Amino acid sequence: MMTNSTLITQEGLSALVEDLRQARIQVIGPARVSDGAVEYRRMTDLSGWTPGVQPRRSLKEWFLPVTEPLFRYRKEGPRVLVEELAPPDAPRVVLGAYPCDAAALPILDAVMGWDYRDEPWFARREATVVISQACPGGDRSCFCTAVGLTPDSAAGSDLLWKPNGSGWQVRVETAKGEAFLQQWSRHFQPANGNHVQPAEPPPPQPLRADPERIRAWIETHFEDPFWQEISLRCHGCGGCAAVCPTCHCFDIVDEPENPVQGARRRNWDTCQTALFTRHASGHNPREDQCGRCRQRVNHKFAIYPARFGRVLCTGCGRCARTCPSGQDITEILSRIDQWAAGPGGAGT
Amino acid sequence: MNVYQPWRVRVEERIDETPDTRTLRLRFLDEEVARNFRFRAGQFGEYSVFGEGECTFCIASSPTRQGYIECSFKTVGKVTTAMKDLEVGDEMGFRGPYGNHFPLDRMEGGNIVFIAGGIGLAPVRCVIWNVLDERPKYRDVTIIHGARSVADLVYKRELKEWGERPDVRLWTTVDPGGETPDWKGEVGFVPAIVQKAAPKADNSWAIVCGPPIMIQYTLPVLEKLGFPPDRIYTTLENRMKCGIGKCGRCNIGPVYVCKDGPVFTAAELARLPKEF
Repeated sequence: MMTNSTLITQEGLSALVEDLRQARIQVIGPARVSDGAVEYRRMTDLSGWTPGVQPRRSLKEWFLPVTEPLFRYRKEGPRVLVEELAPPDAPRVVLGAYPCDAAALPILDAVMGWDYRDEPWFARREATVVISQACPGGDRSCFCTAVGLTPDSAAGSDLLWKPNGSGWQVRVETAKGEAFLQQWSRHFQPANGNHVQPAEPPPPQPLRADPERIRAWIETHFEDPFWQEISLRCHGCGGCAAVCPTCHCFDIVDEPENPVQGARRRNWDTCQTALFTRHASGHNPREDQCGRCRQRVNHKFAIYPARFGRVLCTGCGRCARTCPSGQDITEILSRIDQWAAGPGGAGT
Repeated sequence: MNVYQPWRVRVEERIDETPDTRTLRLRFLDEEVARNFRFRAGQFGEYSVFGEGECTFCIASSPTRQGYIECSFKTVGKVTTAMKDLEVGDEMGFRGPYGNHFPLDRMEGGNIVFIAGGIGLAPVRCVIWNVLDERPKYRDVTIIHGARSVADLVYKRELKEWGERPDVRLWTTVDPGGETPDWKGEVGFVPAIVQKAAPKADNSWAIVCGPPIMIQYTLPVLEKLGFPPDRIYTTLENRMKCGIGKCGRCNIGPVYVCKDGPVFTAAELARLPKEF
């Protein structure tokens, strides 16, 4: 239950978005795109805004773009001039992030910040205020409650909003959220108890699984025939990774604009393709789809937790909804969990 | 400067090792970087030709020789082809050093056996020169190098130099059929030559690098000679992009070659899934 909350009305929100626009602060939120789907898009007003509908793709691309230049180069004979790029730190506000997308951000902070600091990632993180709207309840692919989150989790959010009929009840989650609220306080009003309480969070999703037990099973079943079984239906398209809020694997390639200049870019990549790990010699440590499917599940539910103490997954369910052959991560986790819990399972 | 932006280096020297393998000596353009750059034997870096891309190689020169770095590479793909075409004076990029290193401090006072197949001599050569430049710290030094043919032996001038040193036992071998009429070295595969050389295992360390098949058949020979798996070191080179634990592709099970490696003991490798 929210306490000490603040309210914002539909009119207040419209005025806030207009003020942000005037202040040249980018507003990003779920909005209808031309094919009718919802995506996180830049918004100048609330006309296409669709809070409460999970965008087709995650929020990830606003922090780790599909493609981005790391620096530019220019060749002058044998010499090369390297042009450093300014950090991408333009101020932004995400309005209506899904909690399962916001939760991915602190998860990825861990890998982006250990030892070497990924400046483009953190420049965007620091320049962005994330306002999430509690999820009204998902579909049968959702499983955030099986990975330690809930539909109204505040992880990764600076402010968490819940609709309350005529507007939204606002809860401050971070100092950055508090500062935002202070700066734009003229659009908010204190809750005085007369307002309708927000709806109770939706019931937990069907998947019941224990991430610790799953991890123990995976760590001891590298050669299990199950990996072969799940790989048989995989096309290796990588769609799961593209829509995933936590898949962050990337490629680094040079893209010349002409023979003398261009940029070195970072592009999204996926462990589901053969080229991902193929050596120059032709040798490939993951030579078939079995190894690649195993890698994805391993990375999310065993390797990442072993290093960073949490699963690389927020239970958003997009991979299951996207897969052209119906690969369903909830089914995979459910089966592993049952084996792990059963006699002889790694979790016992 | 973000972590993906390389330092600029200039090609100072090109040495053709074999018909398809070349060594480049690279000097940092920035004087301060050149002065302060330090690394440990076994570490790697990302080498790049602007407009072509990056490639991962070990640093093949020794940390005891400062002011420059060297890399040796086989011309196989886009970047290595572009690197082969660079002239002396041309500029390219380097970022590093990354990864762990051979624990030479642990090996002081011991015997060291270097075993390398083909271009696998590159990372081993870095350690060899490190040891030879600090020769009094170590006892017996044995080097076993094999290649497919006489032409494929890398670092030929250095092999000659090592062979002439009284404080180095050098064995060179070529695969059967790879010998020339005037070849004076061994003929046979590396594991067989290791067996023949029979380095003593007592107070000894082995550093092994080469194609997977060579390593696979050499480890049992070493173990039979009495080398415990935690005294046998090798270095892995998986496909990498970032080199710093973020891009997500070089792991073998839970271990990231770029961060936890590239140097591993045979004991460590035995605990990993067979996916390398």
